[in-house]
Amino acid sequence: MIVATGITRTFAGRGGRRSTPVHALRQVDLTIPDGGAVSFIGESGCGKTTLGRILCGLEGFDGGELTIDGQPVSRLRERQRAPLFRRIQMIHQDPYSALNPTRTIANILGDPLALRARQLGKPDDWIAGRRAELLGLVGLDPGYVLPRYPHMLSGGMRQRVVIARALTVDPEVLVADEAVSMIDVSLRLGILRLLRDLRSELGISLLFITHDVATARYVGQDGELYVIYRGAVVEHGSTDTVIQRPVHPYSQCLLSAIPVLRGIEEPGPDRLIPLAPLEERVEPPGCLFRPRCPFARDDCAGRQPPLGRLGGTEQEHACRYPQNREVVAVPAANA
Amino acid sequence: MTAHLTAAEQRTRPAGVAVSDLTVAFPAGGRELPAVSHVSLDLTPGKITGLVGESGSGKSTLALALMNAVPKPGLVTSGSVHIDGIGNVLSLTGSGLRRVRGPGIGYVFQASQNSLNPLKTVGKQLLDLGRSHGEKNLRGLLRRARELIEDMGLDAVRVLSSYQHELSGGMRQRVGIVFALLLNAQVLVLDEPTTALDMLSQASVLEIIKRVHRDLGLTTLVISHDLGVVGELADRTVVMYAGRVVEEGETQGILRDPRHPYTRGLLAAMPRITGDLELARALPGRPPDLLTIPRAGCVFRERCPLAMPVCADSEPPDTLSGGRRFACFAAAGSAGATSAGHAETEAAS
Repeated sequence: MIVATGITRTFAGRGGRRSTPVHALRQVDLTIPDGGAVSFIGESGCGKTTLGRILCGLEGFDGGELTIDGQPVSRLRERQRAPLFRRIQMIHQDPYSALNPTRTIANILGDPLALRARQLGKPDDWIAGRRAELLGLVGLDPGYVLPRYPHMLSGGMRQRVVIARALTVDPEVLVADEAVSMIDVSLRLGILRLLRDLRSELGISLLFITHDVATARYVGQDGELYVIYRGAVVEHGSTDTVIQRPVHPYSQCLLSAIPVLRGIEEPGPDRLIPLAPLEERVEPPGCLFRPRCPFARDDCAGRQPPLGRLGGTEQEHACRYPQNREVVAVPAANA
Repeated sequence: MTAHLTAAEQRTRPAGVAVSDLTVAFPAGGRELPAVSHVSLDLTPGKITGLVGESGSGKSTLALALMNAVPKPGLVTSGSVHIDGIGNVLSLTGSGLRRVRGPGIGYVFQASQNSLNPLKTVGKQLLDLGRSHGEKNLRGLLRRARELIEDMGLDAVRVLSSYQHELSGGMRQRVGIVFALLLNAQVLVLDEPTTALDMLSQASVLEIIKRVHRDLGLTTLVISHDLGVVGELADRTVVMYAGRVVEEGETQGILRDPRHPYTRGLLAAMPRITGDLELARALPGRPPDLLTIPRAGCVFRERCPLAMPVCADSEPPDTLSGGRRFACFAAAGSAGATSAGHAETEAAS
């Protein structure tokens, strides 16, 4: 289980000493339960990728604490951290650059497995067996892919190889950051289904980072969804609740932006758009979403509302005036 | 026949584009491999046409052929592209082509958000565009640029004096559209206009495309791998697979009742925000590339749940049924529709 409390990450802004710092993450709390599915959604630059990288140990944090299986990361030495972060593996967005083009798939999977064999005290012939087993698990034919180089495989196959490679070290958590956005549409669902199956069959928990709410729903319908805006969680609850009954206007804008398949769907009656584009350089007082919020009132400029269940909502949210709005597309009557 | 109309008169009526029997081939290993194979297609004047396909379907090659700009070593081996007021673009060369690219067809390239010159401000690049097309009235050009930029909800003064890195992805995409429209194009082609954008920027770019299309009276072609984008924007939808048009028709009709098994498969493979997730089905197999496109028979048969013996022998002809065109033996059998050897019958009706 991964528990993050009050995670803060600030980057120095552009322009030297006079620049304003960029708040990538502001006091983020989250929990990834064993075998659970958690999704982060938000627009580009909201901090969802930074958060994923921190959870994988690829990035440090300035404040708060990250606890992996009961061990607080910031109190551990580098050498003690490594085996902890080994349990958390990342699936990158781009399967075209995530694999070494000069090595065959046999090598790409064989090397980490050789290391793993030494760790586990297994004989050398265990490697080939395990390699075939992992490829079977991700739906690839070992006879076909093992002698090949990455460029000889389709994007979907490459992403399966990337997933197989992540599985070589027996992870407990997979972090998938926009893992299907570069894959052909007809192959995407196969990868999403694979991630779902790995969770149900191996009990691997899944952290799914995306701007595409529909794929987050597919992968983790029974899981939890965090809506992140400018580094802060603005809505969090069960995936179904947040998608079907969002109460924060930012979540509602995100859900409204999903293209409507006219003919079989109709736009939700309350579909809305933000008043203005994101101005990253401006830090408004009070609620960060206020300048773009169609429902902002004067006192929204006051204190930023903390994440809570104001108004007795099922999910947590950070809005002073939570209101349920029907923004998600609905099946068309004549379909 | 519209050739002698003045530019102002042409603005009042959108131009149509007729692609007929277009084949674009790439030589490889002593053979010519067709990326686009005998495609016939009309862009209805004043309408938005959506072109859907996966990587390798030939959609970008087809779009580039509209400007006679197929990259070498690609070669147009058959067909024509007729644009109202211009004629057959494929027979043009040199300065004739220069008058088509920009003033005739405005093209927003794939990843155009990364195709600005990083060393020059947007304003300088817009002026370069005008000069390279012999535009004398640069002041007027800048005025038009300012209007277009403001139409897109951006601050014109800021954008014109900005370098590429100072603009967000969504802003750069809008600047790409400004470039395409600066020379008063009548036909706008957008290749994957929202691919690298997040949902909110995508939604606002889609709104802008709808608006400029309507306000400027354009004929628009939007290329996307995403049925959602096309479903949101397009009046008509064309589905391409392995260099062929496999289905074409009115967008809502196609989404409601797709006829070709590939269109059905694509639609079923989209995770949706409402409804039963377990209905989502992955398409088996993978899209072919130039080398693996089946040489005979239906190009989709290896992934097709309805494949029959005949599909391996000959390529399915176009079937026309209620304003819809599709190329599938199985769907034609169940439709009981008239089979037409060629799409020209539909174009004539």
